[in-house]
Amino acid sequence: MSGAMGGGAPEGVGATRRESVLQRRLSLKDMLDLPSFTEVVRSFSELYRVGIKVLDTAGDKLADVKVGHGDFCSYVFGFPEGRARCTATVARVKDGPVAPVEGGWPARGDGAEEAGIIALPCFTGLRYLVMPVCWEGDLLGRVILGPFTPEELADFPGSLTDIAGMDLARAHELVGRVRRAPERTAAQVLVHFGQVLAALVASGQRAFLATQLHIEAMLETHRDLEANNARLAQANVRLKELDRLKSTFLGTVSHELRTPLASIIGYSEMLAEGLAGALNPEQLLYVRTIVEKGESLLNLISSILDLSQIEAGRLRLVIGPVDLGSVIQTAVSSVAPLAQRKGVALEVRVPPPPQPRITADADKLRQVVVNLLANAVKFTAAGGRVAVVMSEVGAQPELGGPGYRVSVEDTGMGIREDQLENIFQSFYQVDGSSTREHGGAGLGLAIVKSLVEGHGGRVSVESEFGRGSCFTVVLPLQPPLAETGGLSALAPTPSPTGQDRF
Amino acid sequence: MQLNHAQRELTLKIVYYGPGLSGKTTNLRHLHAKASPEVRGRLLTVETHDDRTLFFDLLPVFFSTSSGFKVKVKLFTVPGQVIHNATRRIVLQGADAVVFIADSRRSATADNNAYWRNLQDNMKENNLDPSQVPVVIQFNKKDLPDARTDAEIEESRRRGGEAVVGAVALRGEGVLETFHAVAQAAYQRLDARAHLARNLGLTEAEFLGQIFRRMDLTGSALARTYERAPGEARGGDGR
Repeated sequence: MSGAMGGGAPEGVGATRRESVLQRRLSLKDMLDLPSFTEVVRSFSELYRVGIKVLDTAGDKLADVKVGHGDFCSYVFGFPEGRARCTATVARVKDGPVAPVEGGWPARGDGAEEAGIIALPCFTGLRYLVMPVCWEGDLLGRVILGPFTPEELADFPGSLTDIAGMDLARAHELVGRVRRAPERTAAQVLVHFGQVLAALVASGQRAFLATQLHIEAMLETHRDLEANNARLAQANVRLKELDRLKSTFLGTVSHELRTPLASIIGYSEMLAEGLAGALNPEQLLYVRTIVEKGESLLNLISSILDLSQIEAGRLRLVIGPVDLGSVIQTAVSSVAPLAQRKGVALEVRVPPPPQPRITADADKLRQVVVNLLANAVKFTAAGGRVAVVMSEVGAQPELGGPGYRVSVEDTGMGIREDQLENIFQSFYQVDGSSTREHGGAGLGLAIVKSLVEGHGGRVSVESEFGRGSCFTVVLPLQPPLAETGGLSALAPTPSPTGQDRF
Repeated sequence: MQLNHAQRELTLKIVYYGPGLSGKTTNLRHLHAKASPEVRGRLLTVETHDDRTLFFDLLPVFFSTSSGFKVKVKLFTVPGQVIHNATRRIVLQGADAVVFIADSRRSATADNNAYWRNLQDNMKENNLDPSQVPVVIQFNKKDLPDARTDAEIEESRRRGGEAVVGAVALRGEGVLETFHAVAQAAYQRLDARAHLARNLGLTEAEFLGQIFRRMDLTGSALARTYERAPGEARGGDGR
């Protein structure tokens, strides 16, 4: 996979990926929530009135609670010899092996042996217990309990009493504040603490791994999505380019077709008008048929040209103030002969003039109405009715602003519900067979949609199959960007909403 | 494999892979239950509320060799649901051997194939050469109606180079045998690459013995091969 993100790759592991947390050895710190762990240690220390320290293998303190022994130890530490001996003892306890060597012995007590607890003496006669923290066979750190006064301690040993300047009465007073307990009891406290620690580490490890893995999975998924997006964007660019080429091709071809066709029609008209000599009635009929068919072919080609120009983004609207009512009247008059020939009644309802003008391209709007009306007449049988209705200006919820609403209703064949979505597509006719019956290339509605949307409007359709259809065009008073004077009628594509802030 | 000569530690990774609900977690649960606490850690599972594996399960198995090396075998499962592919890929990272848990039912064949291909893809994504990393296939749920027959499983074995084991993981059948096959395959591959016997003094017999002599093999064919270590007592707190 072509990763979208680069990054340093550890040797031998997947090309652009970081090593997973699952491949790492976790430290005690990773697996414990230190603030809440400190709370647990403190409550333990206070309950048993004895200090507890927890160190990881690097010697870092994860928790350190002093209870009772602080004053005594500070007093002893105040003497130079005391300081030296204290430092040596602490070094043995913190950094020496957690094994019955170098002055240590296996602690007495239930479960002390299984837990690997050792006892270490202090030169003052006090005692420490040290327990290894093992997890999955690895040593992660140690727990130090103490110092406490062993129950059997009757008096201070020589290693304390021989310190120069030591006030033994004071030392006795201070050591009285240190917890006195049998080693067995202290070991049980430590075993118990070990069980609590194991439970905390288990849940801590679980939470740590789960959150870390969650993040890793998110990053991994993100990488996949980015790669997919890049592929799709590439495909999209290619498709757009193909689409543009298609439109350009259609535009060029239509243009190349129209030029000779115009000549065919022109020369046929000249023939019909007798400019090259009189024609007999039969010849005249044939030539007129050539003109008529030539014109309908020209219309078809023009439609294709319009649509392809719209799609190629090259159709410019010529914007100016437009009286929509008169645009509709003009459109109706150009469709009226067709309706009359077919025996379809044509009805027009527009609000009385004057009405506020809209800013639009009058020719294109007329084409919209003509296309809709011609369509309605085409699909309505003799004896039917086609009506065009224009509203007064008012708020249009589709546009979020004021505008007009123009409806073209018919009593024709209607459109099946499952076809409604497709009818605005190019070259689409509801029923392929109707192309033969009704003619046309299926471009009219696609052009209507593009032109209306090019004006910032909307077109929609409602229909009851077999009963008739109603097309509604909603137009805003001002098309977007009208102040530029001319705008491209592009089929609108979704664009990021909102404006740049910075 | 992670080999730390300074700390004298060897860590192996075995990944249980396969379609959702094929029995990956069930395999690990059974191994956890059968292993003596001194060779295994806690079984770590992260599940959704409906008992589906969310990220992975992890069962560590560890021992010290006679030459003083600490050996840890980490058994992972991947989440089986389709949407968790990213997690599967991460868990597969650095695997030394793979168990593919297939559902024996004929109706599950398409699913098995899809996840097999997914395994191959994710191995490649992790720079793991599918022809180098040993894979053991477990045909689980053999007791269900519509399951493949032994003859069909045998035929499936002949179609590829992987070791194949039949199983009913819920009853524990075949679980230890599968683990034994994959542990052996993992050892043999690493021995070929890193010469464990020569450099660490760790032979195949000791590697397997250290683990399987500390497992309750009652009722499995392995029981005869590995006698329980003497003085074996269940105890300790799993730390």
